[in-house]
Amino acid sequence: MTDHSRAVLLAVAAVIQPGLGLAPLLDHDHHPAAWAAYVLFALVTLVCAVWVLRREPLPGPVVAGGVVAVFAASATATWALPPDDHFGPAHWSFGLVGWQLLLLLADRVGPLLAALSAHVAVSVAQWVSAGAPDRVEVGGAGVVLLGVTSFQVGTLVIMRVLARAGRQAARMAAEQERATTRAAVAEQWEQDLRARFAGRLGTTLPLLADLADGVLDPRDEETRLRCALAATQLRRLFAEHDDVPDPLVHEVAACAHVAEQRGVVVSLAVSGVAVPVPAEVRRAVTAPVELALAAARTRARVSLLRTDGEVRVAVISDAVIPGAVLPDAVIPDAVIPGHEGTAPGSVEVETGTYGGQTRMEVRWRAS
Amino acid sequence: MAGELSAVVVDDHPAVRAGVAYWLSTGTPPIRVAASGEDVRAAWLGEGADADVVILDLHLGGPTPALGDLRRLVEAGRRVVVYSMRADDDIALQCLELGALCYLTKAEGAEHLVRAARAAAEGRAYTPPSLAGALAGDRSDHRPALSAREVEVLVEWFQSESKDFVAQRLGISLSTVNSHLERIRIKYALIGREAPTKAALVARAIQDGLIGVDDL
Repeated sequence: MTDHSRAVLLAVAAVIQPGLGLAPLLDHDHHPAAWAAYVLFALVTLVCAVWVLRREPLPGPVVAGGVVAVFAASATATWALPPDDHFGPAHWSFGLVGWQLLLLLADRVGPLLAALSAHVAVSVAQWVSAGAPDRVEVGGAGVVLLGVTSFQVGTLVIMRVLARAGRQAARMAAEQERATTRAAVAEQWEQDLRARFAGRLGTTLPLLADLADGVLDPRDEETRLRCALAATQLRRLFAEHDDVPDPLVHEVAACAHVAEQRGVVVSLAVSGVAVPVPAEVRRAVTAPVELALAAARTRARVSLLRTDGEVRVAVISDAVIPGAVLPDAVIPDAVIPGHEGTAPGSVEVETGTYGGQTRMEVRWRAS
Repeated sequence: MAGELSAVVVDDHPAVRAGVAYWLSTGTPPIRVAASGEDVRAAWLGEGADADVVILDLHLGGPTPALGDLRRLVEAGRRVVVYSMRADDDIALQCLELGALCYLTKAEGAEHLVRAARAAAEGRAYTPPSLAGALAGDRSDHRPALSAREVEVLVEWFQSESKDFVAQRLGISLSTVNSHLERIRIKYALIGREAPTKAALVARAIQDGLIGVDDL
């Protein structure tokens, strides 16, 4: 039930009591106890107003207490009626009770219908016990009963229908909102991906163009190295966005896999507990690994070691890295043999040749 | 030990048992496989009970590592080389703490297995590259303090799988590389539980002058 419909019910209860209830109370000869019932009814409306105006649901104890109070007030008011005035103009409380029950139990349809039925039953019982009514009285009372209760139940039905329609509309609006957000995110992600791939394809596209134009000879050692490197870079790039528990190992393994496909015997060892490595650092760490593996001829040992605050990736292979013959764009300065340099961030690359073996190590300090 | 060294192979795969037996028999000097079996009983009964080395597969037909079997063997004074399919640093360190002389992964091949078995038969520890990686990456609170050079040797050995390469890289001799690795294992043995083989390992280290009595 919406806040608005509860506010309307509150207004109805608040207006009916003094508007339609006060006049009969003053005009007819009631027992003084009727005034106590009147005050009790007013109190119930007042207490309900506290929660309704704050747009909060009525707490269970308040509802239960309210229903008991309404029944007590109703029984008292009916008992205090002048003789033979049941369901007549003097029976001021009968309609009011239904509205107050609606206000109290608006969200609880089952108990509400039960309470309304109980109220009608009690009123009829009180009426019958006050003296056997004749046929005319029965007919008049029936009209009043039917009129009042059907109006109240009708109101209840309309409110439920409105509330359900409101909920559906809200749900649809939220769903539409989510769909729009999803579409926007997907579009943004695709754009980012395109931009990233385009940026990273920098060395691949000219290579393909040169191969297509016949500028480069595939039989040439250097061309084959550049192709192997481009293949490794692409493979790692594809692995970059995979959702895996240890992305760095995943990317290094992807590079190793390409080398294995070329026939290089690769042994990959991983040690230490996995630490989170940001994507840019992974790119910086794997770039020299890509080159070392692309240049490996027959065998390579790739190791990944995580120690206290440091990640060390080493490739020891029979690679010969022709630093001088490859364009600068292909090889970062830091990877040229004998050159020790610092790549972006705190990534350090060290390369050296020892007895025909090329050793390349990348170290990244997490702090 | 009279003459030939002997080993017992405990592994639930017949092909692995046969392969290990073949590898050990082709080493110089060859190691005779006295018994083999798919569970640890082979190491307790018959000829297996007297073998110099136990080559123990840690995952005998189940996902739970047979650490209890390892502990009982070590407590009985047996020299155990753990031969496992998994490269799991934690398990490897746990095996060392229980007193295994070597933790070898099945990916590491014949050369390391033969060396590990021979070293173990003589009561010495052997550190293959994967175990060196586990030791270098050890971040447990009770790990022993290693010198900078010792860590360097571990890392280089893990990275290159070649002691010649390590010696060349660090400008030291091959025997220095080996003695660094042995000293590291003794430091680990000292923090581990008391076990007969470890006592022998430590005694030997003192005899060889690798550590002094003061280090204890």
